[in-house]
Amino acid sequence: MAEDLVLDTAIRDWVLIPLSVVMVLIGVLRYFVSKLMRSFQFPDLKIVKEGQVIVRARNLRGAANFIPPKSFRSRRVYFSNEENGLLFVPKGQAQNAQAQMFSDPNMAMDMMKKNLSMIIPQTLTFAWVNFFFSGFVAAKIPFPLTQRFRSMLQNGIDLSTVDVSYVSSRSWYFLNLFGLRGLFSLILGEENAMDDTQRMMQMGGFGFDPSKSLSAEKDGLDIVQYDWALPKFEHRAEAVLKKLVS
Amino acid sequence: MAGHSDSSSSEKKSSEAMNDVPTFSTENMQNNMKVIYYSRTFMSIIGGVIAGILGFTGFMGFIFYFLVMAITSIGLIAKAKFSVHLYFDSWNRIILDGFMGGLMSFVLFWTFAYDIVHIF
Repeated sequence: MAEDLVLDTAIRDWVLIPLSVVMVLIGVLRYFVSKLMRSFQFPDLKIVKEGQVIVRARNLRGAANFIPPKSFRSRRVYFSNEENGLLFVPKGQAQNAQAQMFSDPNMAMDMMKKNLSMIIPQTLTFAWVNFFFSGFVAAKIPFPLTQRFRSMLQNGIDLSTVDVSYVSSRSWYFLNLFGLRGLFSLILGEENAMDDTQRMMQMGGFGFDPSKSLSAEKDGLDIVQYDWALPKFEHRAEAVLKKLVS
Repeated sequence: MAGHSDSSSSEKKSSEAMNDVPTFSTENMQNNMKVIYYSRTFMSIIGGVIAGILGFTGFMGFIFYFLVMAITSIGLIAKAKFSVHLYFDSWNRIILDGFMGGLMSFVLFWTFAYDIVHIF
């Protein structure tokens, strides 16, 4: 390891701290902007209906063991029989719903807004950091790294003798980007805790179609292993009471 | 005590067979998980600042992180009055959840405090 570098305190005052502060403020701003831009869609009757059916089926599945066998069977048939069960979707209808989903412009617009509100500030901040703060060492990471990280972390510093743990402002930016997520979830509440990967997943599930989740729920209901829990509870109560008595 | 742990383990078996959590209220569970997540994040930030101020480098810092997380786990278990199965469906929830999520925050605040205190 080369001898310790002494960094200018001006770097701390004008790069390190402002960068962090700006990123925190941008995160807060983004949260409120996306809150403002969230448009209220008038919910479609059919979609709400299907969603409620799914919720009810899920409740049945979750609480299956607490009701008598007969009640469970009759409820299951009510949800999943092949003629007029609530979860049963005819073949032709499913395709139709999907097509309708795709052609709904409101949905795409909402998705677009959400993604833009994430991408634009990130791009701008990255460009800002690159433009103003490149070409010098801005921070030192307190753990050693291998040479492999040099090209990534010491971008714009063309010195091969500097220890790899000294990093440029761009890597400080990335560290902030990933590390501040926890802080945001603390100061902004849980809504912001959804991280980028989850957003990506959402983007992947763009063509979400309710009939698919209906049939998935139906399959889930069909394979429930019914096992009445209450007899076991009696045993447990018996054990507890015996312990109390003895 | 034995009777209690017996019945809870049998409950767990049935829950695994069902691939669901039958004997827990889902909302309360989620609230508990949220509490764990918050406390872990908070502790990782505080721990990062402490590690930076104390000037830990290299492996010492990560060991310190493990230590902080262990203390958090113990604190959570104490908060649950040492009967974890009353509040959570498995030990993994209280010991491992949010472990990796806090690491990035820890590294960020560790670096931040370390740079401000020791480098400049």
